[in-house]
Amino acid sequence: MRRTRNQLTIAAVAFILGVLVVSQLRAQASGSGLGAMSSQDLTVFVANLNTGLSQRRQQIASLERDLQTLSDNQDRGIVSLSGVRDELASIRAFAGLYPVVGPGVTVTVAGPIDGPTMEDLINELRSAGAEAIAVDGVRFVAGSVVSGGPGEVAVEQQPLGDPFEVSAIGGSETLTGSLTRNGGIVAQVAATSPDVSLTVTPVTRLELPATDRDLVPEHGQPRL
Amino acid sequence: MAATGIRARIGERLRAIPSWQITLGIALLGLGFLIAAQLATERPRIRYTTQERAPLIETALDLQRQQEALSAQVLSLREQIQALEQAGEGTNAAIRLINSELEDARLAAGLIPLRGTGVIFQLEDSFAPPGADANDVDYLVSARDLRTMVEELWVGGAEAIAINGERIVPTTSIIDIGGVILANSAYLSPPYQIAAIGPEDLYERVVGSPGFADFVRARQEAYGIRIGYLEPEEVDVPAFAGTVTLRNARPAPPAPAATAAPQGGG
Repeated sequence: MRRTRNQLTIAAVAFILGVLVVSQLRAQASGSGLGAMSSQDLTVFVANLNTGLSQRRQQIASLERDLQTLSDNQDRGIVSLSGVRDELASIRAFAGLYPVVGPGVTVTVAGPIDGPTMEDLINELRSAGAEAIAVDGVRFVAGSVVSGGPGEVAVEQQPLGDPFEVSAIGGSETLTGSLTRNGGIVAQVAATSPDVSLTVTPVTRLELPATDRDLVPEHGQPRL
Repeated sequence: MAATGIRARIGERLRAIPSWQITLGIALLGLGFLIAAQLATERPRIRYTTQERAPLIETALDLQRQQEALSAQVLSLREQIQALEQAGEGTNAAIRLINSELEDARLAAGLIPLRGTGVIFQLEDSFAPPGADANDVDYLVSARDLRTMVEELWVGGAEAIAINGERIVPTTSIIDIGGVILANSAYLSPPYQIAAIGPEDLYERVVGSPGFADFVRARQEAYGIRIGYLEPEEVDVPAFAGTVTLRNARPAPPAPAATAAPQGGG
């Protein structure tokens, strides 16, 4: 009798143990932090995912057109340089290897801003859809960093003056709205660094230079 | 002498414990550990989970799956285009030259997966219990933590970086939304692995920088954010799977000297 009771106890503990192991593994496997989000955050999250989806769909449509044109040309024995040149220009513009023109905003930064706050500003611009950014005339590309303490920031080892300008090409209204919204970067900087001011100005035409950097990797090889 | 006696008595008592009690003890220990782990995992992630949010979460998960499928499609189409371009170049020197330039531009833009020397850092949420007045969010890895790591890697000489497979390109933003992190509009689930290709001593360069030391002090020492690293022989960094089509910025090529007339009829 006593033996049966012991076995039942062990069986019950083993059962609970099993349930917990499974739920723990599931929780870790899903890795999803979505359950922690409020409805409002989830809505913003879904909107972001939708934006990403829409961009990818547009990209796919464009790539499919390119592929079709290439394929048709090849079938007809046609070699077209103009299409490839357009593609080259487009990729170089994206990478920062070509100067670009377009509408956007300038942000005049005055006061002793520091590197991390500048990085927050750049990140906010990108998040709002900036397609090309320059800091004090230096094109910001993959690998560019704004570093330094308050009042000593530098980009590409070039010290920035006071004031200096950040220029971003993108939808002027969207960029302005994102930067100046309640709780946005302008408000955050005003609250945390009262000596620093960010002035956002929509601009109809900006021209940003190409980067001086050599962006072709030296240590990485294309993985086929 | 007395100590030997005590040890002997303890040994006798241990031997007298029935084996089922030992099994039960071990099982209960495991149970306790799992309950603690469960609670730690769920802090603070299930705080808001309610039935009303279930449809939104389902939508988000569905969109995530769609995004992954579309990303794979983008990469596949780019590969097909690249293959066709290379196949069509034949003996035409002008086409070969422009294709070579295109390859370099794609490499620079992050559109080609790379393999090379480098390092992988991993950031994970803290296990440390938040203090009485602490903000729970400080104990979780944030978008700013990831941005700091990316910056430190760039400063250290990295030439290609990806976080959980999302390649960092000129338009990449890394943002927090209610405790979850997005990069390139894609959801990143913890742990966060930041893979970087660069010089062989990239790890030493990063950990030796004052900025990284500040980061460790501010996040690992103060809040218990777990920072790990791996130095495999080769690091893989995938290609960017997002859009490179610029809607507002138009390329303004510098001084287009002596443009060759397009060949063929296209």
